[in-house]
Amino acid sequence: MKLERAATALPRHGWQLLPLRFHRIDADSVVLTNLVGEHVFVTPDELRTVADGTCADQELLARLRAAHLVQVPGETLPAELLAIKLRTRMRRLPDSTGLHIFVVTLRCEHTCRYCQVSRQSAAKSEFDMTEETARRALELAFRSPSPQLKVEFQGGEPLLNFPLVRWITAEANRMNQEHGKDLTFVIATNLALLDEEILGFCAEEQIHISTSLDGPQDLHNGNRRRPGRDSWQQAVAGIRRVQERLGEDRVSALMTTTEASLGRAAEIIDTYAGLGLRGVFLRPVSPYGFALRGRGGANYDVGRWLEFYRAGLDRIVELNRQGVPMVEMYAAIIAKKMLTNADPGYVDLTSPAGIGIGALVYNYDGDIYASDEGRMLAEMGDRTFRLGTVRDSYADIMLSDGLLNPLTESITLSAPMCATCAFEPYCGADPVFHHATMGDFTGHKALSAFCRRNMGVFTLLLRKIRDDPYFRDLLWRWAQ
Amino acid sequence: MSPAGGVPGAGAEATGAGAIGAAEITLAFDQATVDLDALQRSAYVVAAEMTVDIRVCGADYVCTLFPRRQDTRDEDLKHRFRAEVNDQILRARIAKETEPLRNLVFALAFSQTGLADAEGSA
Repeated sequence: MKLERAATALPRHGWQLLPLRFHRIDADSVVLTNLVGEHVFVTPDELRTVADGTCADQELLARLRAAHLVQVPGETLPAELLAIKLRTRMRRLPDSTGLHIFVVTLRCEHTCRYCQVSRQSAAKSEFDMTEETARRALELAFRSPSPQLKVEFQGGEPLLNFPLVRWITAEANRMNQEHGKDLTFVIATNLALLDEEILGFCAEEQIHISTSLDGPQDLHNGNRRRPGRDSWQQAVAGIRRVQERLGEDRVSALMTTTEASLGRAAEIIDTYAGLGLRGVFLRPVSPYGFALRGRGGANYDVGRWLEFYRAGLDRIVELNRQGVPMVEMYAAIIAKKMLTNADPGYVDLTSPAGIGIGALVYNYDGDIYASDEGRMLAEMGDRTFRLGTVRDSYADIMLSDGLLNPLTESITLSAPMCATCAFEPYCGADPVFHHATMGDFTGHKALSAFCRRNMGVFTLLLRKIRDDPYFRDLLWRWAQ
Repeated sequence: MSPAGGVPGAGAEATGAGAIGAAEITLAFDQATVDLDALQRSAYVVAAEMTVDIRVCGADYVCTLFPRRQDTRDEDLKHRFRAEVNDQILRARIAKETEPLRNLVFALAFSQTGLADAEGSA
């Protein structure tokens, strides 16, 4: 054993650095990341000896070598492995676009405080998508090279135009007989209009239901208003019906953090657990639409949201320790990027950005947007992310300046601060957010709420990985 | 004015207050040891905490720090900026040293995607 150790010992200056970036996560701890995000924790002194080539700590050098942060001169395997991993992380790019969002109506019977979608009253059918528009949108969707197609019905409340949801599903299935793609459907609904006919249809077509649940009854109903003030009761009853009829894994819920949510993270998590939901996505409110009004629920800063997020994550970990399986979905997405070579393809955390190449939005009126947030900006008078209409060709949409300019200008590998950030492999470009909040696609990251929020989450997760073996194992499971 | 001893690139406090202004918070960095690029990158990174004016003064870059919050201690501001400059110098050194390997990895990664062939045959 001693002989082996001596044979592999690396002397000072007997090794060389591979490309790495570093971030000081505490006064006495620095994380080093390689080109694909594999990481090692070191002390500030160790960073200095690694950077100047004088490190002779064999245990540390072995860890650095295993993580492709250093190599022996002349080795070729580390570069080849890094290249394979890098290519693996990028493999989704040639297969754009997987997610196709159909806004089948702008009508909604809710008047949520933070609504981003410029809802219209439930009676105004002129805000419904027509079959002709839907057919053209489907033809564009099937031009996508992606072997997987997910058709997501959004609104407004898409069940207010259920006949079109049914029509699009049938037409997509018919068209797919020729294309043979892995075709799935999602309805994003508040569940208030769920009935036996819709349930039967969802069962038959294996449709996934995505709903909104902000937490306990008073919090949810305060945020999500409807006649009768029973949004929470409708959502909870709907979730239970879907679970019973379609199965527990066929319904998931999203929450939106308003200032009323802050301080109530544990209650929100417990509400989800009580309903048998196994995942919570702790999301901040987005800076679009009605959320920007004084009563829109967005009156808190990144620091307060990070406190909320930490409290929610702590509660989720506590539940898991007690044997209640529960996943925080944002952490799970990041875990996949931190701990594996797979890219989950989450639109907000990819570079190049996920707009257009990760998702396309077909508005009720036939306009096509690079993202849902881009559509909301158009409702606010800014049509920067409108790519064209369903009457345009696929090439015109995907090669439009409206898509290519924000994609190329926001790539993190060339953006100031991002290019040298240790967290770049975990993060993404969000040109819509930065355009909306700062007026350019790249954004000044030192002043960016997107950057501060994600840096905060990455740092929190890394500290927990470093300090808590249970959390490290849990995050590994979430990453799978 | 010269860099503080022991820490490569660290700046010294400017003492010639007359030229700079007595109430201003200044740091001087020797041009022989600190690149302007490192100072500019540092100024960008700390923009949420302070804005920085960089001027050439003899053999030094003199940085004047303007805190965004009035309750920030001058010494904390100086430490923050000096620490960021040192990190930027280290990042630049690592990036320079590893640039050939970085280019190699990217070349290996994208030479086998078929994209180059597709472009060539177009």
